[in-house]
Amino acid sequence: MAWAQQGHEPAFRELVRRYERPIFSLLYRMVRDRALAEDLAQETFIKVLNAIGSYNPQFKFSSWIFKIANNAAIDHLRKRELETLSLDGSPHATTPDEMSATAPQLGDRHESPLQELEARELGGAIEHAIARLRPEYRTCILLRHVEGHSYEDIARILDLPLGTVKTYIHRARNELRGYLEDRRE
Amino acid sequence: MTDSLLQHLTPEEIELWAQGLLPATGDAHLAQCAECRAIAERERKLIRELAQLTRFAPEFGFVERVMAKVNVPTPSRPHLRPHTDS
Repeated sequence: MAWAQQGHEPAFRELVRRYERPIFSLLYRMVRDRALAEDLAQETFIKVLNAIGSYNPQFKFSSWIFKIANNAAIDHLRKRELETLSLDGSPHATTPDEMSATAPQLGDRHESPLQELEARELGGAIEHAIARLRPEYRTCILLRHVEGHSYEDIARILDLPLGTVKTYIHRARNELRGYLEDRRE
Repeated sequence: MTDSLLQHLTPEEIELWAQGLLPATGDAHLAQCAECRAIAERERKLIRELAQLTRFAPEFGFVERVMAKVNVPTPSRPHLRPHTDS
């Protein structure tokens, strides 16, 4: 980090190499679109590296970069609302018929190679279950159980009280188990 | 029987158990409580499944694409006094 702060290009490259997979994975699972996740990951790294001089080493670098990545994802989700990405259909749907009518139809379209890759990568039961979580639960569960962050780190990354993070993670696990049991029945 | 043996485990304690980090008193409760054991087993399965998820990689050349858009500052060097002939 100290080398990167002094402007050494190899240190910049090393930071990108070290975090490209965790950051890209989080963003990809948040937006479920490879090209968009890559754009957001680039935006994250560019912001981080251009502001590296102002980084405060008292805070974990990983918390800082995940905070910027999560903000990029949430900003995007808010702008687009991503209604069409909800596997349950429109959030405004109030009946099962409305949910079904507004849910994406994965089988009846011609998929590009990129869409086929996304379907393969994100098509498993657990990935579908994660996609059904509301964004704040999804971030919490991914940071905790995929990336292995502590509850305290997650609270810092998301600017949430520690108790809220614990509640979100507990509820998210309950919801995930419910979705997985639904699919297995 | 002590209180700690009678009380059901909290979600955090169950998570600790799933990670093999639960203190002995919690283990003792689990040994006696079928309800907590069932919840804990389900939690462990889910937590393992999550931990085994793939770390996806961006398209090849990601580092280069990022570096092309970053302003890499010149490394700081010791400041030298300007040379003068005087």
